[in-house]
This record gives sequence, C-alpha cells and structure tokens, in this order.
Amino acid sequence: MNSYEWMVKYTSQTEWIKGGGMLVWLSFYAGILGSGSYLVSLYFNNLLGMLVSWLIIVVIKNGFHMAHAKRPMRMWRMILRPKSSWLSRGTIFIGLFTGCGFIQLILSYLLPGTPAEITFKLLTGIAVCAVLLYEGFTLNYIKGIPFWNSALLPVLFIFWGLLSGLALIATIGWSGADSSGLAAGNQLFLIATIILTVLYMWSASYAGAAAQESVKIILQGNLSLIFGVGAVLLGMIIPLIIWWLSSVVGQTLAVTILVCEIIGGLAFTYSVFKAGVYSPIISNDWR
Amino acid sequence: MSRWGMVIDLKKCISCYACMVACKQEHFIPPGVFWNRLLISEAGEYPRVKKMVYPILCNHCKKPVCVDVCPTGASKQREDGIVTIDSQECTGCQYCVLTCPYQQRTYLADTSKEYFPGQGLTKFEIIGQNLNPHEEGTVSKCNFCKDRIDEGMKNGLQPGIDRNATPACVNICMVKARHFGDLDDPNSNVSILIRVRNGYRLRTEWGTEPSVYYID
Repeated sequence: MNSYEWMVKYTSQTEWIKGGGMLVWLSFYAGILGSGSYLVSLYFNNLLGMLVSWLIIVVIKNGFHMAHAKRPMRMWRMILRPKSSWLSRGTIFIGLFTGCGFIQLILSYLLPGTPAEITFKLLTGIAVCAVLLYEGFTLNYIKGIPFWNSALLPVLFIFWGLLSGLALIATIGWSGADSSGLAAGNQLFLIATIILTVLYMWSASYAGAAAQESVKIILQGNLSLIFGVGAVLLGMIIPLIIWWLSSVVGQTLAVTILVCEIIGGLAFTYSVFKAGVYSPIISNDWR
Repeated sequence: MSRWGMVIDLKKCISCYACMVACKQEHFIPPGVFWNRLLISEAGEYPRVKKMVYPILCNHCKKPVCVDVCPTGASKQREDGIVTIDSQECTGCQYCVLTCPYQQRTYLADTSKEYFPGQGLTKFEIIGQNLNPHEEGTVSKCNFCKDRIDEGMKNGLQPGIDRNATPACVNICMVKARHFGDLDDPNSNVSILIRVRNGYRLRTEWGTEPSVYYID
C-alpha cells in the first residue's frame, strides 16, 4: 500500500499480525488450542490431557502475551476494566483458570472423585469455557473491521479449539473412553466446522464492502494458499478422510491428525487476523 | 461543562500540511508518527474530477470505543470530552489501536529514531525528549493540545478564541480553515458553523459520535 492510500483504500490491520504482532496471533491460537483441549480432556477425564492443556495456556499463551508486551510489569493492570474490556475479562478468566486448574490437577492426581475435586473441575471447566469464548469476542467487538464483527467468529474459534482438543486426546490416548464415540465426535465437529466456515465466509460477503474485501483476500488473494491448503485441506478435509477410513485410529494416524489440526488452526487464525481490513474513512465515491 | 470540538472548513483548506507540521512541532512527535494527517482522494471521472482533502485527527468521540476496550484504564475521557492516554498505565497491547475505526492511534515502537538518521538528535529533539517524552511501547494520539487548553483556561483565556488556549493546528492554519470551541454552547463559533453550514462528521454509522465536524 502506498502512503497516500492509507484509509482511502481498504487498509489491513497490522498491529496484531505483523512483526511483533505475530505473537498476539500465536497467543490467540495457543488459547484456542489449550482451552479446547482442556474441555475435551475434562470430558474424557484424561489427566495427562488436562495437564498438557493447562501448560499450553499458562506457559505458551501467557508467554506469547508477555513477549508481546513492551511493558510486561504493567500487565497486572489488565484486570482493572472487566466492565467494558474483553482483554480485561480474558486476563481475569486466564487467572482463574490458572489457579483453579492448578488446584484441580493436584486434587485429580491425589484425591480423585472427592467433592473437592469435582468442585474444582466444575470451576476450572467454567473458567476454560470463558477463556475459549473471550478470544472470539475480543475480535468480534471491533466494529472497524467488519470481517471480524460477526457472531460466527467466536463460535468458529470454539469449534477449532474443540477439534484440536479431540485430536490431542486421540494422540495422548484415552482411558476408559469409547473410541468409536471419539471418532464420531471428531467427524461431527469436522463437518460442523466446515459448514460454519462456509457460513462465516458467506455471511461476511454480505456484511459490507470491507468484509467482502476480506473474503476476497482469503479466497482469491494472497491468503488463498494458506487458507486453502492449511485451514481447509490440512485442517478439515484430510482429518475427515482419515476418520472416515478408519474408525479406530492408531498412534501414527492420531499424530498425523493432531499435526494437521494444529496447522489448520494456525492457518485459519492467521488468515482471519491477516484478512482484517478497515473500511476507508473517505473513498472515491464519498458524498 | 464544555465539550470541546473542532470544525474544519474543507472549502478553505489548501492542503498545505502546516497543521501536520505544527502538531509534530508542538508535541515533539517522533519520526513516522502523526497525530494530524491529511487524506487526499479523488472522485469522479475525467473531465469531472473532484479532489477531496480531509484533514483528520483523533475525533475525541462522545462515545469512544478506545476508552471502553482499554484493559488498564490508560485511555480516559475527560469531562470536557477530550480523550487522553496515560502512558504510565499503558501496557502497549494495542487493542485500542485496532478498535478505533478511524485509525487515529499510533503505537510507539521506537522513540529513539532520529529525524536525520546517523547524525544524532537535533537540539530540538533533545529538548523534546526532556519536555515531552514519548514512552516507547505505548500508544499515543492527538490530545487536542490539552495542556494549552488547561493552561489557557487557568489564565482566564478562551479556547478557540485566544491563541494561547487553542490547539496548535488551529492556530497555524493560515486560511483559518480550522475552528475550535465548545460544542455544548449553542452560541459558540463551532456550533454556529455546524448549524449554518450543515456540518457533518465522518462515518457516523460507526456510532462513536465524533467531535470533529467538516463543512464544505
């Protein structure tokens, strides 16, 4: 873009995807991956899965956030505005998840099945749902980028998180869970994600010229390869085919699915972040 | 209580960029950072082409989304409507930069850049770093020269009328295209201009109720 085209033509957001901004994209994906995995691990009562997911959020996601902030010592202030700021709410949710999750993991290891463990499982489950939700709403709140201002975006983030979680559980192995149930669950979520992605792109193309421009960038522009190969092929189609062909997936295929899901999730979130464009303040047909 | 606003007369603006430079000079703004800008566009087809020039700055919206989304409270709105950033509280998350639909906020990634690279800082830049330091890793934007307004009002001056209480970009405009005043006073210069000349704001559909009006 030439400098004289800034906010006269569609202007891409760069703060959260270019240079140091890539850390924000990575932290968002780590949050989606960790929270989805934790929820699935909670459902299948897989302690190792819960531990891995907890570490993904606490170490990796928070690590990326701290690395992005030039003033990390001030980050405690981010809990001060939960009334109006999604970032503030998210910080609180992550804090609650960290604390409750830590206690719950210890209780699950030492005192499984006790009322205390069940209580903390419930609290941690609520906190991790909130972590999974806040990310989509953080982007959804931004009216200036019409492509993000869609109610489907938080839902899509939830589904990508759960997809990755199911793949993680399949890789780690499940104890006492119904393997055919896991296969059916994966296929269901994959089909639902495909449908939701199509709906999201379709509805975005009706959400105004700027959102249409974003869809064009993803489907026909310089993001088409990343989105097509990464998000669609590796993230959705190949895992679906693998699950269809073998309802019982061995370790190797499970790792393949997990790698595909992670690449798919990264490609999807990258495409969403990168394709966010602002409507021009003035344009060629203004007044 | 006053609500400060600005009216920009597009018929008078000659796109000389003096307002941009005056703003940089007033606040010792680092290279690559602009609190005041000019957007230039063309509309129509030859031979009926119209050139559009829009001086833009922070709109100090009545309903600022940037204040709502700030997680630390560094972005605040004063009672007189001026939206400010406390750089001591800003963590540099840039959520406000993303949220502003007018894109009038700037993240200060590097405040050590020199205007003349490789030649060290000029005396002016050194003075600026002491008088008005810009903190690296925080967000900055136009503040309607609030220090001039506050100091002027303390001395009994009227913003928009008396130069020492008026924003620098308004003072420097040689064609008097910019006007500053109290939007809540129906008899102020800005209110009269908006009423008589059908002042409008940019992109009202975004719902932020900007305090910067344009007349043409």
